[in-house]
Amino acid sequence: MSDPYDCALDLMRRLPPQNVEENLAKLLDLVSPELADDLLSAIDQPLKVKRCSKTGRDFLVCDYNRDGDSYRSPWSNEYEPELLDGTVPSRTLRKLEVAANEAFDTYREMYYEGGVSSVYTFDIDDKFAVVVLIKKVGDGLKRMKGAWDSIHVFEVQERGRNAHYKLTSTIMLYMLTSSQELGTMNLSGSMTRQSEQDYPVDDPAAHIVNIGRMVEEMELKMRNSLQEVYFGKTKDIVNDLRSLGSLEETRRQAKIQQELVGRLMERNAR
Amino acid sequence: MEDISIEDKVKIASGFLLASPPGEVNDVFNDVRTLVDDDKALESGILTTLEEYNTEQLITVIPPGLDYEVIVSKHGKVDLDRYLDPRSKKSFQFDHIRLVATELKDHTEDLPIEDFRAAVETEAHKYVNDHYPNGVCSVYGLDENNIAIAIVDNKYNPNNYWNGRWLATWVYNRETGALKGATKVHVHYYEDGNVQLNSDKKSDSTVTFKEDVTVTAKAIVKEITTFDKRYHTAVNNSYEELAENAFKGLRRALPLTRNKLDWNKIMNYKIGNELSQK
Repeated sequence: MSDPYDCALDLMRRLPPQNVEENLAKLLDLVSPELADDLLSAIDQPLKVKRCSKTGRDFLVCDYNRDGDSYRSPWSNEYEPELLDGTVPSRTLRKLEVAANEAFDTYREMYYEGGVSSVYTFDIDDKFAVVVLIKKVGDGLKRMKGAWDSIHVFEVQERGRNAHYKLTSTIMLYMLTSSQELGTMNLSGSMTRQSEQDYPVDDPAAHIVNIGRMVEEMELKMRNSLQEVYFGKTKDIVNDLRSLGSLEETRRQAKIQQELVGRLMERNAR
Repeated sequence: MEDISIEDKVKIASGFLLASPPGEVNDVFNDVRTLVDDDKALESGILTTLEEYNTEQLITVIPPGLDYEVIVSKHGKVDLDRYLDPRSKKSFQFDHIRLVATELKDHTEDLPIEDFRAAVETEAHKYVNDHYPNGVCSVYGLDENNIAIAIVDNKYNPNNYWNGRWLATWVYNRETGALKGATKVHVHYYEDGNVQLNSDKKSDSTVTFKEDVTVTAKAIVKEITTFDKRYHTAVNNSYEELAENAFKGLRRALPLTRNKLDWNKIMNYKIGNELSQK
């Protein structure tokens, strides 16, 4: 591997996800400005919460609603700090964006019972993109801290009465706990999955129904995968590194069993 | 973006190397090598970093002439790039970039603590063999009063996108009876993502030194065994607690209604009208 872009992505896949922002900032110092731009849009970072000064509602900031140093609020459609010529979605897309923000607000409340969500849309040539973001920070009870960040990026292409949806989803999940018995434990990381679907679009609301179903389906699948990897796989590996029970005892039992099988075979052979 | 100096780039690269997950230091090295793109500056600046990483992570190697793995630890450093295997009383040259050992030769410098060290080695090996499937252990005599016990278990499975390491270093002072330990567990799972477990715990206890070195050795290893069992159980329990509390509290598997959302209904009732109004 000698392409700097591939190396940078490989590196970020190996460095501790607990420090992704810090690592990315340092990584950008090593590469050319052009490559830095590509990496900023390719590497997901934990979402940040900002308060919309027009509406007083919280929204999420990321590379998708950034223009220069300003971020667009999905509630007011205005950039903060103020940016007069900031990129905004077309009138039709903005309508979709407003409706999608409302719909995902309901979705977020049903599944996350808290947190913040934001949906952003933007035009790309003959397609458009819809980005669905959800963040929930745990209550920190029982000395356990946690945070969940969902980033769903849709590329949508309308084809007559149908639309093709290409979805890339990343979920970042951070968990931290400590106690006298344990010391400290940090179980964190991210997972990325993709999915493509064609659905009919017979009225303007259909895009939101289709995107909503795809997000719901994807999050269900990924929640299961996260559960399996975080609490199954990594735990199994810990217990592969050290055995809580006596290995001598296991070896002794295996030997006895082997001897028994051997004797049985002998008897059957007679 | 301002251009930063090559020294600063090498410093960043060093930081990345020190953060390498178990068994992946070569992959990280290859990545930073391409990104820094200045082999000469990198090689001269990074050697001490690799030494730091290898000795802190208790990297193991089989020196030619021995038939078992030996730990490369700062406690075994006898000369520039020369490390001791206290078990065979031989030392070897270690290449921190290529991770190979050469030039095994006798190392005859017996500390007065040697009998005690050897007794602890016997007991520690018995214990490591009983609880660490791939465990490697070295016991060093540091001076007339101190010994160090290093334990490491690595499991690398890059074909299935995971690697893990459990490591511990204990230092015992026979004059004060102080036994200090530091344990670290690091797991990396990276299929379709990057998930890491980092856990660590320190220990501070006392084991009274008795003239019978075997008795003291057994007491020290018993203390370590008790610590490990308690810590290991706490890690397993914390997995359950995080799954049951922290994880479930972030996102439900299904809404309280136990049904998936009816998206058509949401759209019809709340928003559909606005969208249809052109």
